[in-house]
Amino acid sequence: MSKEYTPRDSVPLPPKNAEKLTTCCDYCIVACGYNVYRWPTSAADGGPKAGQNAFGEDFPTAMLKSWVAPTQHNVVMHKGKPHNVVIIPDRESKVVNIGGDSSIRGGTIAQKCFNPDTPTRDRLTQPLIRINGTLQPVSWELALDVAAEVGKHVIKEHGANAYSVKQFSYQFVENTYAVSKFAKRHIRTASFTFHDTPSDVTSTPGFRDAGFDNFAPSYKDWGDADVLMICGTDPYETKTMIFTQFIRPAIEKGMKTIWLNPRETAGLAYAKSRGALHIQLYPGTDTVVLGAISRVILEKGWEDKEWIDKWVNNMWESSSGFGQGTRNTPWQWRTTWGKFQTDGVYGKKGYKQWLLSQKEHEPKAAAVLAGIPVEQIYQAAEWLTGGGKGERPKASFGIEKGFYWSNNTGNTNAISSIATICGAGGRPGQMVGRFGGHQRGGTGGGKYPRNKSPEKVPGRRRRALDTDRWLVSGHTRLAHVVGTTWIQAMCGSEGLQDKFDELVTNNPHQVRSKDKASIIGTLKKRADSGGMVVLDHDIYLRNPIGTKYADIVFPAATWGEEDFVRSNGERRIRLYSKFYDAPGEARPDWWIIAQLGKRMGFDGFDWKDSNEVCEESSRFSRGNRKAYHMIKVAAHKEGKTLHQKLREMGTEGIQGPTFYNYATGELHGTVRLHDTTLTEADLQRRGEYVGANMLNKKTTHFNTQTGRINIQKHPWSLFSDYWSWMSPKDDELWHTNGRINEVWQSGFDDMERRPYIAQRWPENFVEIHPDDAKARGIESGDWVLMHSDRVPYHVHTIKGVGGDDFQFSELMKNGHIKLDKGAAKAVAMVTPAVKKGVMYSYFLSPGKGQASNALQGRVVDNISGNYNFKMGVSKVKKIGESKYKKEFVHMSFAPRNIV
Amino acid sequence: MTTPVEIVKKDEESAAEHDLCMMTRRRFLMTGSATVVSVSTISLSLFPGSSVHAEVVNYPRKHIARLSELKDDEPVDFSYPDNGAHSSAMLVKMGGAKAGGAIGPQSDVVAFSYVCTHQGGPLQGQYKAVDNHRVLGQCPMHLSTFDLTRHGIVASGQAYESLPQVLLELDGDDIYAVGIMGLLYGRNQNLIKS
Repeated sequence: MSKEYTPRDSVPLPPKNAEKLTTCCDYCIVACGYNVYRWPTSAADGGPKAGQNAFGEDFPTAMLKSWVAPTQHNVVMHKGKPHNVVIIPDRESKVVNIGGDSSIRGGTIAQKCFNPDTPTRDRLTQPLIRINGTLQPVSWELALDVAAEVGKHVIKEHGANAYSVKQFSYQFVENTYAVSKFAKRHIRTASFTFHDTPSDVTSTPGFRDAGFDNFAPSYKDWGDADVLMICGTDPYETKTMIFTQFIRPAIEKGMKTIWLNPRETAGLAYAKSRGALHIQLYPGTDTVVLGAISRVILEKGWEDKEWIDKWVNNMWESSSGFGQGTRNTPWQWRTTWGKFQTDGVYGKKGYKQWLLSQKEHEPKAAAVLAGIPVEQIYQAAEWLTGGGKGERPKASFGIEKGFYWSNNTGNTNAISSIATICGAGGRPGQMVGRFGGHQRGGTGGGKYPRNKSPEKVPGRRRRALDTDRWLVSGHTRLAHVVGTTWIQAMCGSEGLQDKFDELVTNNPHQVRSKDKASIIGTLKKRADSGGMVVLDHDIYLRNPIGTKYADIVFPAATWGEEDFVRSNGERRIRLYSKFYDAPGEARPDWWIIAQLGKRMGFDGFDWKDSNEVCEESSRFSRGNRKAYHMIKVAAHKEGKTLHQKLREMGTEGIQGPTFYNYATGELHGTVRLHDTTLTEADLQRRGEYVGANMLNKKTTHFNTQTGRINIQKHPWSLFSDYWSWMSPKDDELWHTNGRINEVWQSGFDDMERRPYIAQRWPENFVEIHPDDAKARGIESGDWVLMHSDRVPYHVHTIKGVGGDDFQFSELMKNGHIKLDKGAAKAVAMVTPAVKKGVMYSYFLSPGKGQASNALQGRVVDNISGNYNFKMGVSKVKKIGESKYKKEFVHMSFAPRNIV
Repeated sequence: MTTPVEIVKKDEESAAEHDLCMMTRRRFLMTGSATVVSVSTISLSLFPGSSVHAEVVNYPRKHIARLSELKDDEPVDFSYPDNGAHSSAMLVKMGGAKAGGAIGPQSDVVAFSYVCTHQGGPLQGQYKAVDNHRVLGQCPMHLSTFDLTRHGIVASGQAYESLPQVLLELDGDDIYAVGIMGLLYGRNQNLIKS
């Protein structure tokens, strides 16, 4: 089969007796329910009559009925025999993708399955060791023995922190539990983090400190609002079903939407055609815009006073112990300088008074800074509150990466505060949260050893170690990478890659022999000489972490190749069924980790199957938002395994946290967290006070000591020095980046290997406003080079003493910031859909080029430790014409905002 | 089937590719009925070098319009390959916007299915000409749009196949539909066996 997309004009139908298994899409947070139909290739296909196929429908079928697109069929091996599989959205679904809706990603997910006749043929099928510069197939035993010996040596000689673990946070609870148990409970390394952040810190500090869970809302809440503020994302592009199943029908019924986004795509364009307010601001200015809207609301007295009175902490309440010790908590040190804490909304030390004292939050000033019409600020204030007239509308607030990765602390504080004064957070249709990115498949197998982190922020607090800076400083002797690219998924990625070159490739100690002792000896010498050894688990050999740097590659089995459990963005927990054989010798990550753990002398790695891992992990989920422990309790009462019980629940699953009523034998889920409308009777009915059920404050209250919300300040001054330094100089433009619908949480296997997607996006693109393009002689279809010699990166692991030591201008003054170069090639798309002065590209690279993350500043948010990935500047110049400019096959230059 | 296909000489690469496409297709059609009768489908390279393939064989040749009667950017409806479910399609001369698989002196005449490949939504009335872009959509069901200059590839949205393109032949002033590239929504095969 060609790597090019070949439209077919027929497709096999599953026969009546095809086996049917349930799963969910492997990609975005929404996790639509899917059915897998499987039948041997030696058996007859189904026919077009209702009695002849598994759907029981006559073909041609009607709109919205069962259909199989050719991209939804594949041939896989099952128990060693070739089988057809058809993977289509579950038409019976009453949740998430109701009635069988689907995105382009899930719609083509059958193409993900390993089939050597397709571009998936390069799946990793055997363990590999780099010998004489080439990755060579070896036995599992050799690969594991070498990795374990070198690992033990590094820990013994250089300390646990020299063993760095960088893992996905989402790829199923069985795997994340096993890897984090290995890293945090046994190795106890502080050099541990997830795929999307340099250190193991909260993604949304403002939510955390206000007391909001990221994923408190149910999807229904987004549609039940009267007015919805959407920040830093177009949920149609990413989180598709939330838009098409919940937000869009509500817009049709009159829901107002307010969008903060420098760019316009299809969902936003559609909403605008129905009267939406688009606040098209410059990257990173959300904080001041939200502050200005809040200021207008409070000045006019439009806030929800009843809600504030009942649910907002005063100074004494927020000071009265945060419930995690009075000193050593993130929140406490953040407020040490009085920069965030308030005495509630009113009074001398209240939020309102603070807002009024901040010149940046004066509407005119905010509008100038953000580059927006000032009227939009007043308009938003009126829409969110009803403007003091009539019944207060139900307002909800949803955010995503464009927002919380541009001024991480400031933006998430500001959205928490505006949501609170508008009465959102704890009622149906009045919620605040993230729409979400990847699915939620994390279960912690150990506690992060924070006190072992050498990085300290002002006050007494240690911050989770920044693994990138640690590596750049030369302290990482073994990099154990599980299912992520590490390098280009971070910022300022060229500099990071240079360091990998130095520590790995250019180190003189390179393996030259197949002899086990010799390999182990060489890699130990590498680590001892100041170099770094790289272990990599993945499903494909990724560039460059796998192709260039990995010394040992472990082939992983993934979605569809093992029974796994995971939850989605409304905490819906489901079983993802195994339905075909993993390719070659590929094994799930939990198994790989178990083999390593046993070899390294750790106990508790004797699992027989993934259900055993899941059952062991369940008690560590207790108290968290997707607590699945009670499913196990129910399963065992019924003589079933946890996986079996979840399989019975099919694509509907159950929303966490889960509760088991011992009296009635019923399992109960949780529609939304912080649900202030729940009654005592509701809790009794769920059996929450009995047995292993864990009554948690966030069920009915907020995640603070008092259970009420901390309303917080969001000083622009914490970020303004970085923003001003970053702002375009000379002929630079803002460069921000992000995701696209066709490749959203799916880039890890579909970009190069799904012919249809590869045809749509063979290369990276950059959207440029027509005025900016014209000034530089750029047309759609031209090859352009985005380049910058102003990519700042923070070099040193430091101990903060003074209050401002982590402030960008102080870091700069004290020599902790260096400037790097960055460049990325892309095909220009000239469109007014992006704000003038701003460019937008896909954050990685579909082709083999440099990820556009190379241009983004590698400086973490000074409070939280997250990168502000969306902040970058770049020059751009035409370097030629791409072949796509004049041909009619690949890409498309049609704007995404045509309504 | 005997009238020679019209060849319009163009110097752009794209137009040359277009001509090659139609030539290749024509040759196939002219010899196909006799020589490949035992083959149910064949992979046909429409664009040598850029490798768009389609499986088109045994489709009816149906007269659908006259070129001289087409008005710029005004779609004409027709049914193809039969009058059954999901056969509704549109033919449009795109006002000089060149397109893959197009016919006519300006290489701007194309035909596509009206049925969205996502969930079968009706695309009637959704033809849009914006600058030099030509799209069909947003689909009223889930807002997908398709780029008509690029074989109906998804411009934005949720469909997981391009919009099926109806292959055309120009015979003097007469336009014929001669095949479909891609599976029509709702069908398990485009040609329903009676």
